Amino acid sequence: MRWNRAKIWVLISLVIAFPACYQVSGYRTVGPIGPVSPIRFVNPGDIVLPEGYLIEAVARGLTCPTGVAFDDSGEIYITEAGYSIGEMSAAPRLLHVSGTGEVTEVASGAENGPWTGVIFHNGFFYVAEGGQLGGGRILRIDRNGVVTPLIDELPSRGDYHTNGPVAGPDGYIYFTIGTYTNSGIVGEDNYKSGWLGKFPELHDIPCQDVVLAGENYTTENFLAPGARGEVETGAFSPFGVRTTKRQAVDGRIPCSGSVLRIGPDGGKAELVAWGFRNPFGMAFSPHGQLFVTENQFEMRGSRPVFGAGDLLWEIEPGRWYGWPDFHGTNPVDVGERYRPPGKGTPRSLLAEYPSRLPPRPAAIFAVHSSTAGFDFSRNPDFGHVGQAFVAAFGNTPTAGKVLAPVGYKIFRVNVQTGVTHDFAVNRGKTNGPASWLSTGGLERPLAARFDPSGAALYVVDFGVLKYGRLGAVPQHGSGVLWRITRKPVLQ
Amino acid sequence: MKPNLTLLTLACILVFQFGCGAARKSEPISGSLKIESQEASLGEELFMRHCNQCHPGGEAGLAPSLNDKPAPGFAIKFQVRNGIGAMPVFSENQVSGGELDAIVSYLVFLRDHK
Repeated sequence: MRWNRAKIWVLISLVIAFPACYQVSGYRTVGPIGPVSPIRFVNPGDIVLPEGYLIEAVARGLTCPTGVAFDDSGEIYITEAGYSIGEMSAAPRLLHVSGTGEVTEVASGAENGPWTGVIFHNGFFYVAEGGQLGGGRILRIDRNGVVTPLIDELPSRGDYHTNGPVAGPDGYIYFTIGTYTNSGIVGEDNYKSGWLGKFPELHDIPCQDVVLAGENYTTENFLAPGARGEVETGAFSPFGVRTTKRQAVDGRIPCSGSVLRIGPDGGKAELVAWGFRNPFGMAFSPHGQLFVTENQFEMRGSRPVFGAGDLLWEIEPGRWYGWPDFHGTNPVDVGERYRPPGKGTPRSLLAEYPSRLPPRPAAIFAVHSSTAGFDFSRNPDFGHVGQAFVAAFGNTPTAGKVLAPVGYKIFRVNVQTGVTHDFAVNRGKTNGPASWLSTGGLERPLAARFDPSGAALYVVDFGVLKYGRLGAVPQHGSGVLWRITRKPVLQ
Repeated sequence: MKPNLTLLTLACILVFQFGCGAARKSEPISGSLKIESQEASLGEELFMRHCNQCHPGGEAGLAPSLNDKPAPGFAIKFQVRNGIGAMPVFSENQVSGGELDAIVSYLVFLRDHK
């Protein structure tokens, strides 16, 4: 009898302990649940910062904001994406933000978003247009809102887009292009996300000539519904096109997974570096070194890759950074480390690698944290001079499962040592987006940029992405622009 | 078969100890972590390189939290070298014995940080 009672007690304990504490039953995807108010609850008090720092909401009611810039008078401008995951399509916009948080439109674009970021440089705004319908563009916009494309037809109508830009110390405008696919093979995930059905001819483009290993992945023929039979798809090839061992693929520019640059008046794109998956955030350090954040492999598609944390790279011109066969310095086809549970280890897609293998990343972030825009501190009054402040958008259900929410915060990164620290997080017993925690804190930080004085860090919060059976649904008017400053030190 | 109630009770306590606890100990929540040894400082850098992506800041992410687990050093090293569950194996070539000692030293600081 005594044993039975004990056994029952032990069983009850285990039943309680494992799901509640290890969250085994909750090996879950994270996204806002339940109804979301049209007007998002915003409360800076729900955000925690290190001692001595303050946060406030500068503007709210924004729809999918992506970037922030400051003109030569210090006036604030933001971009709204227009296009978002969830296949939301609207006109992307450049908005002025007044001192009281009111916004007025400076310029708008056609439905070829998302506008992923903005800078102000030598009297003009420069905007990266993602190019979901017509291909990516870099736009120059004058103060009157007149839009001039500097380069167009960039290959970014797939999973990822044209991102950036930033102005280099050399006067060039730097931008990035993400890949069409998760890991080099066009497949079911691209059909589900919408672009493969619209553009079946599209595929990743290498920046330099590559020799393929001839690995092909077999899937159902999604482009011929009702038709029997399967198709094989190889790397850097359209859906349903098989590749052969040692097949050569010509590189060309512009290309997928790259960092490129153009002059301030436009012209032909020049290659800066390549071999990235989704290089999103860019910033030059106080010493003039370019750094880039890269969203790494996800657990989806024909060639899912497990456990690849997002990366921060210091960019060396001309170098290859590993996609689609490396995560940092690690080849994904060696050992079990990148093998998804229940599936095979990803096979190498390239037969030969460029002479120099990828270097060690400057920092490694949480798997699926979607690290995005960032900037370097330059002002001792703010502190941590030379360190990067990185926005982390947070995990999404399509990327892969996690035990606990990751991202939804601002990181501080020592780029010399690779040590990262949380800088701005939501208050509470667990991490997560504000709408999931039922608080008024950070939702999905997408960009972080210092004002010209370097005394204030502005954080662009994309707003609520609600997930339902049909995927992501961005919530109009739920974006926020936050400002972080340091309290004056009393003498 | 006679039940060993002591062992069962201990097992339950361990389950709760390992499974529960406030794992949020990052700088905004708990203040700056003061690392007072060179070994632990090196361990922090190595943790960021090898461990942080799955256990971000010692908290749960892709993998469970580490910063609230009273696991002894030898158990941590066993897990690193042998990899249980989804955790990959880290060989001597990837993380040397000295480096693993440093990582464990850092984890002790992280665990004791209130």
